[in-house]
Amino acid sequence: MNFANTPSFANQGLQPGGRLFLCVLTSLALLIGDSQYGLMEKARDAISVVLYPLQRAANVPLNLTMQVGDFFTAQAALKRENDALRERDLIQSSHLMRMSSLEKELQQLRRLNALAAQPSHAGVVAEVLYTGRDPFSYRLIIDKGSSSGIASGQAVIDENGLIGQVTRVQPLSAEVTQVINRHYIVPVMIERTGHRALLYGFGGGVEVRYLPISTDIRDNDLLVTSGVDGVYLQGIPVARVKQIDRLGGAAFARVRSEVIAGVQSSRFVVIMPNRRLPAAPPVPPPTDAANTDKKSP
Amino acid sequence: MNYDRPQELLKPVKRRFITLTFVVALALELLPLPQGSNRWLPDFVALLILYWSVNQPRRIGIGMAFGIGLLADVVSTSMFGQHALAYSVGAYLILLRQQQLVMFNLGQQTLVILVLMMLIQLLMAVARWSVGASLPGLGYFLPALIGALLWPLLTKLMLLPYRSERH
Repeated sequence: MNFANTPSFANQGLQPGGRLFLCVLTSLALLIGDSQYGLMEKARDAISVVLYPLQRAANVPLNLTMQVGDFFTAQAALKRENDALRERDLIQSSHLMRMSSLEKELQQLRRLNALAAQPSHAGVVAEVLYTGRDPFSYRLIIDKGSSSGIASGQAVIDENGLIGQVTRVQPLSAEVTQVINRHYIVPVMIERTGHRALLYGFGGGVEVRYLPISTDIRDNDLLVTSGVDGVYLQGIPVARVKQIDRLGGAAFARVRSEVIAGVQSSRFVVIMPNRRLPAAPPVPPPTDAANTDKKSP
Repeated sequence: MNYDRPQELLKPVKRRFITLTFVVALALELLPLPQGSNRWLPDFVALLILYWSVNQPRRIGIGMAFGIGLLADVVSTSMFGQHALAYSVGAYLILLRQQQLVMFNLGQQTLVILVLMMLIQLLMAVARWSVGASLPGLGYFLPALIGALLWPLLTKLMLLPYRSERH
């Protein structure tokens, strides 16, 4: 027998009920403090740094199997991939050549018009460490943190399109909330027409809400970031329209769409730099307010 | 005759071993598994807390369950206090009837564990729902079921290092 059913004669400290009461009270306080006021970020940082070696250790077996797998990749597969990459490189370099001249032209025009120059588009590449086991939220943990200059609010993309946004930064890792998370909203525009809309995540997918029935939108339309929010650069592909329901009784069309980026499968992601927006123009003093019926913003 | 329970003398459990089991369970949470796997992968940390509070109630009690729950909160990127709340309630319910539970055979224990694992999942869902997440569907309880089914295997595995050499 193990010692489990020896009775406890000397019961030190609080009774179990009292202990439970304390623990439940503390957890509720933590839960409210964390969700409503964000008080626990410092503690979370500290614990995550302590757990970082464990995190790396958990990744070791997978990395090893991947390296072994890479080593035994067939010659034919490598050749095929190489050819495909070469072809893509050729196409992209021709695009780039045109791009650089266009960019120069754009900068010149912007200077002429005294507009702020767009920031350069260099991003930081990070590897996805793991996806949180929390079924209530869609998050990724990546292996770059504030020590690599990551700040919360930065947009995260993969080679196909937008994945999400950095929402929590720890010294050595960061948490990315995916576009399919509930309450996640991306300002988008329909690439074909330039019509702006809002793309809502609902936990496992995205949909465009509050789009008037008369809007010109078709199946397979590409939705790209509109860039009016100050977070995302303009023109990052986000989703593709799958199905449009125009119900007679409703004021808005229901637009189902599908995320383009591999939100659940990408292993490498690029973190885009934060956009620096020019300061908002000063509010003009209310001159002649009685005459015009304008409300101040 | 109760032949599920080990009849031989067991060596005392080392604190180091208990710590090691929890480290392994937390590392399992950190594995870069494909995203769909959390639909069936059981919560091993919860299972271990229940196991140790049945078999070593002096070592793993409500306070320890609370502390390990906090670690699990950080590891699984959920709200602070969510796992801590569920685990400490689970440990408390075990401790209420620990002396009976330890006399049960494995089948009976599995049933109790099933109920407790479901309760732990439910508590977490309610905690998240009350701070604004949506309630998950019934498939959310599948990991609890799988976890309970793993209970007999876990019990056998955990006893392996503690068999004495002479029977």
